[in-house]
Amino acid sequence: MDLFFQQLVNGLVLGATYGLIALGYTMVYGIVQLINFAHGEIFMLGGFGALTTYLTLPAGTPAAVALPMMLMGAMVVSVTMAVLLERFAYRPLRGAPRLAPLITALGMSIALQELVRNFYPEAKSARNFPQLIDPDKRFSLGGSVTISAPSLVTIVIAVVGMVTLTLFVRRSRTGRAMQATAQDPDTARLMGIDTDRIIVTAFVLGAALAAVAGVMHGLRFGQVDFRMGFLIGIKAFTAAVLGGIGNISGAVLGGFTLGLVEVMATQYAPEPFAGGAWKDAWAFVVLIIVLVFRPSGILGERVAARA
Amino acid sequence: MTLLVARAVTKRFGGLVAVKDVDLTVGEGEVVGLIGPNGAGKTTFFNCLTGLEAPTSGAVSYRGNPLPTRTDLVTRAGVARTFQNIRLFPNMTALENVLVGRHCRTKAGVLAAVGRGPRYHREERESEQRARELLAFVGLRGAGDELAKSLPYGDQRRLEIARALATDPGLLLLDEPTAGMNPNETAATADLVRRVKDLGVSVLLIEHDMRFVFSLCERIAVLVQGEKLVEGTPEQVQGDERVIAAYLGQPAEGESA
Amino acid sequence: MSNLLTKVARQLGAGGAALVLVACFLPWATYSGFPGKMRAVTPGGARLYVMILALFGVLFLLSAPGRARALRGTSACTLTIAVLTAVFISYAGGGAGGLGIGAILAVVGGLAYLAAAWSLPADDRPAPIRVLPDRSWRTTVETLLVVAAAAAALIAFVIGLGIPTATIASGEDHLLLGAISFNDLTNESQFLSFLIFLGGASLALSRLGLVASLGALTKKHAKVMVAASLMAAVVFPFTQGGDGYSLRIAASIGVFAAAAIGLNIVVGLAGLLDLGYIAFFGVGAYFAALVSGSINSVVPVHLPFALTIVLAALVSGLFGVLLGAPTLRLRGDYLAIVTLGFGEIFRITVNNLDGSAGPSLTNGPNGISNIPDLTLPGGFSFGDNHVLFGINLPFQANYYWLEVVLVAVVMTAFLRLAESRIGRAWVAIREDEVAAAATGINTTRLKLLAFGLGAVLAGAAGSVNAHVVKIAAPDSFTFLESALLLAAVILGGMGTVHGALLGATVLYLLPEKLRFMQDLRLLVFGLVLVLIMRLRPEGLLPSKRRAREFHEPGGGGDALSAPPGRASA
Repeated sequence: MDLFFQQLVNGLVLGATYGLIALGYTMVYGIVQLINFAHGEIFMLGGFGALTTYLTLPAGTPAAVALPMMLMGAMVVSVTMAVLLERFAYRPLRGAPRLAPLITALGMSIALQELVRNFYPEAKSARNFPQLIDPDKRFSLGGSVTISAPSLVTIVIAVVGMVTLTLFVRRSRTGRAMQATAQDPDTARLMGIDTDRIIVTAFVLGAALAAVAGVMHGLRFGQVDFRMGFLIGIKAFTAAVLGGIGNISGAVLGGFTLGLVEVMATQYAPEPFAGGAWKDAWAFVVLIIVLVFRPSGILGERVAARA
Repeated sequence: MTLLVARAVTKRFGGLVAVKDVDLTVGEGEVVGLIGPNGAGKTTFFNCLTGLEAPTSGAVSYRGNPLPTRTDLVTRAGVARTFQNIRLFPNMTALENVLVGRHCRTKAGVLAAVGRGPRYHREERESEQRARELLAFVGLRGAGDELAKSLPYGDQRRLEIARALATDPGLLLLDEPTAGMNPNETAATADLVRRVKDLGVSVLLIEHDMRFVFSLCERIAVLVQGEKLVEGTPEQVQGDERVIAAYLGQPAEGESA
Repeated sequence: MSNLLTKVARQLGAGGAALVLVACFLPWATYSGFPGKMRAVTPGGARLYVMILALFGVLFLLSAPGRARALRGTSACTLTIAVLTAVFISYAGGGAGGLGIGAILAVVGGLAYLAAAWSLPADDRPAPIRVLPDRSWRTTVETLLVVAAAAAALIAFVIGLGIPTATIASGEDHLLLGAISFNDLTNESQFLSFLIFLGGASLALSRLGLVASLGALTKKHAKVMVAASLMAAVVFPFTQGGDGYSLRIAASIGVFAAAAIGLNIVVGLAGLLDLGYIAFFGVGAYFAALVSGSINSVVPVHLPFALTIVLAALVSGLFGVLLGAPTLRLRGDYLAIVTLGFGEIFRITVNNLDGSAGPSLTNGPNGISNIPDLTLPGGFSFGDNHVLFGINLPFQANYYWLEVVLVAVVMTAFLRLAESRIGRAWVAIREDEVAAAATGINTTRLKLLAFGLGAVLAGAAGSVNAHVVKIAAPDSFTFLESALLLAAVILGGMGTVHGALLGATVLYLLPEKLRFMQDLRLLVFGLVLVLIMRLRPEGLLPSKRRAREFHEPGGGGDALSAPPGRASA
């Protein structure tokens, strides 16, 4: 039984990462109906941004100072990239048939991976990431169920991030403007909302959260790799769809659900399809099942009805 | 013989009842009109007939059989339609648009298309011939190679009718065929509808142009706020006080669109 | 006043181009060994290309008015080739000292040429389609022109791939192109120069109206065109002087092109975005590998190849239908992600079925290797070299010819489907799915048909390819491969066969020939995708319809433009 609860905890930790990244996908899709393929790379760039920040800090900087600085560094890199993407890659294609921005996103995803691989020092294989939170320190949650320090921090930060975002979208002026733009961009514009700025805001917020996820990922696994964005990105998108695309609570719910499903399937799936080698396949199976049987997701989608 | 029988058709959108308990029949060789103020539910009713919306309750049958709920099956069964805001295939030529209409009445599949045997060529020839005949019938002879999107508005409407006729329907549903037309074009459309009737195809049309409706239709149904108010001959409908009231003081003669 | 300026500009430009012409006869390198005989008097290699482009400049700057756009293209290419070659010569020669006087003069002259061309007002009249006078010899001449065009394409292809050493007289200074040596920077510069030359020449010819005229001719004599192209393709192995390297490349291009054309049916004709297409290719490959009698295959069966290819295609088609049936009603971007998911599931599955993580079927990450050569009944093995008409033909020629047959079949299927009742229905669905359904088209069935057909063709191509590369392994069927195929279709131009062919050739050949870019290969690929969508989303050789769809306001033209929710009403 303890094994079950341990896996439950593991699933929630995994889901926290998915949820943070899924929020970026869901916000952007809700407003401009674009699957931002490059969002996984934004997550990856956040990790590298944090690493770079760490490397420029003087040796011996205490973790309490280094960590916030790394988070800042990560966010700066991710947000900058996201803004550049929106402005120069996606915005010019707003009127085009949807194939065009999709392919562009794909191209940027590949280009970003390769940029890091070729031009970041020694990034051809994974680079070590400072584990400022001791991964061997574990907290007991009852019985033999434990959670490592970095994982605990991940969940806490993820929950904080999600709650903050939800409050922001529901209570603030900008948040309301985002909801309006998501529902009916033309009318929003007529009401005086600068939809271009709102779209940039969506990208920025999503990128910030993805950056945080990137730092957490580095802390937990002790390394960052130029490839880490691709698979996690697709899974995070799965999570967003699972919860209901465009729906912020949906992205969170979808993230945790997917994390749980992935971990549980790996543990309890019938032989011979259990085990780590099949874990990614299960995530895709979930994606297909959701899209075929309930494409609007668990909590229902919130996308603009286009003319 | 009655072609179309719609009985107690109701369509609910959440709390809003767009169409409530509407009965309507169309017989062979008839031209029936459906009028009513904007928002009365006329196009929604059409959509319920043709499978674009599923009616919340009620039954629709065509030639005695219940009408399928999938749009393409409805067309195959013999009920074709045009759209309120013209839905042609913009980047296809006029001829190609009409040829698409022949799709459901022809059979050449993948093997035939790749093999290109004599049967394939014969079917293509026949389709093209029929398409050209239909173009001539609606007055678009010679416009076959024009792109649909570059045709003038009136011609686009006629092309849509030609495409619908290409599916060999027994009943043609026209959604506001004279919207945006001047008196000349309206008269030409009326003439076209009469010729369609002469072909043996029944017509059910939604319209706002009263002169057009009253001169053309043998029977008229009036839809107000989703319910059928009155049904009868043009004289009966014209003189009915409730109809006049529903249009809120518009002269009974009506205005052109 | 501006007339005077224009005249001066033209003369300046002509002077620059003349300087370039002269420079082509002077040495460009002070050392031997750079391909193209850079020290000899007769121009070859890059000097030859530059000479031709400069000649065009001299002629048109001095005589015909207008033509500014054509001149801009040729002058830009001239300068680029000159600079590029100069850079490569310096680099390979260990510094600027390796540079010959000719190269420097060529760059200077090229600058003047370019400056003049760009300062001319762009007053080109639209290019006229030229037609031969209506005489008795017209048809014969037209036919000969079409055949000549096919022959020219063949020659360009041969040169582009690299003439093998054996065909040219010995020595390092080769006239046209160097021998095929890998990782040789100097040969890569030649290849690049040749490409740029082709680009510039095509641009100039198209502005002169010759490309459109040729296009009209080939349409008029379509049967001749087809026959000539086929002949050219068949003759190709005879130009290789017994060397199999280029044949291997050409055969691989053939496979890639066949798969791209198959994908073009799904994406280009029916408008369905499939990001997992390589999986169907993989199904065909693994099926063929399993029944090939390889010692690494767990299936103890060895089927004759004709049967294998048919069965592989059908099995793949079956997967396509099973996949498509529940998913084709999804809106465009969701369909893209779902197909991506299936592609990954396929890859993960074949990677894991190695007996430990799953039942043993596909030999896991190592794949099924040692696939034997194909044999025809009658004992002929595809692994044999042979001699025809006195010319040595390496065994790669056999597989090459098999590919030609495959590509021809796939092309025919595509062309005939596009211009048929089915093709029309696909276009209708792309333009307005709701209206198509209202016109009596069973949209689900037709989409499934396209999807299944694409899968069938991919399966056939995959089964052939398994025998060409002799292995079927999970690493060949990654998402990147699907993206590459999609890029070939998009780059080449959706909805046309020559588009897919061009896209496949470019995408396969460029990384192969430009080895110095090996590391940056994927980066360039990603950027190319972004640039195409920005600058020319309909591709290089799109069908007219597709070009219209991309440039008209309001987009349209894909199931992807459908409003959110289930795509079918």
